[in-house]
Amino acid sequence: MSTSLIPPESLARIGEILYGPITVAINEREAQRYALAVGDENPIYFDESAAKAAGYKTITVPPTFVTHAMVIPKPLSTLRTDGLYRDGTGVRLEVARMMFGGEEWDFLEPVYIGDEITATARLAALDQKSGSKGPFVRQVRETTFVNQEMTTVARSRQIGIAR
Amino acid sequence: MKQQTIESISVGDQLPVLHKSADEAQLFLYSAASFNPHRIHYDRTYAEFEGHTDIIVHGPLQGSWLTQFVTDWAGPASRLLNITWQNRASALVGENLEFHGSVTEVNQTERTALLSLEERNKSGAILMPATALIKLPSENTLK
Repeated sequence: MSTSLIPPESLARIGEILYGPITVAINEREAQRYALAVGDENPIYFDESAAKAAGYKTITVPPTFVTHAMVIPKPLSTLRTDGLYRDGTGVRLEVARMMFGGEEWDFLEPVYIGDEITATARLAALDQKSGSKGPFVRQVRETTFVNQEMTTVARSRQIGIAR
Repeated sequence: MKQQTIESISVGDQLPVLHKSADEAQLFLYSAASFNPHRIHYDRTYAEFEGHTDIIVHGPLQGSWLTQFVTDWAGPASRLLNITWQNRASALVGENLEFHGSVTEVNQTERTALLSLEERNKSGAILMPATALIKLPSENTLK
């Protein structure tokens, strides 16, 4: 029986809000910079008449852009040597490294330029599992995105694999 | 852009293969557009120090390529309802990547289709397996 990689105080945080609620306006230029950096020139992200012809109210944004719109600006002094920001929302685990395991997205309603989106991220799950390379922890961080009409527009579950 | 409808698709249909390859400039732009300062996406020496063989492509960029792969095929009047991907292996700067996909289920009543997707590198290794659920218009609602 291997020892627990999840300290009790981290286990107690399941369900806790990791960040938010924060509200951000969806900005046309930021969304279009994102689409162009992806190489996705779909007219529904650039041309109001094309978006309307496709059944949208106005210009929409690439599906997962909403998560990038939420990034909180931080000063350079908070950068670590790997370039990432020091982040108070990390969950303490007895592991060397956290890797991205994947993402699951539900898109419930379109997100439009000018929407005010409120995001709240929760620690949804923390499970220790055993794999071929030894024990690991599967962490699920669920973020809910709600627009100014209080409609949930999207939900993401980011899976982290820590070992 | 071409528009698929619930009548135009069948189980077993293959999506046209999407080819992607990101050079340093594109990865730089993606880091900027997503406000991501992680060194593994622009600093080769640092990426090697972390055990990577070269600068690596952002996971969320490959996720957005997956959504583009689906929406380009499905057409602008379709709606992506769900996408789920696994990060199995890293993609490297300049690497030629291919997106393959097929229709695995069609629900006529809900007007939805389930797709099975894969991002592969040139040697055929699957970097990201994925599934997507889309809602399609009907021919007689499109006009």
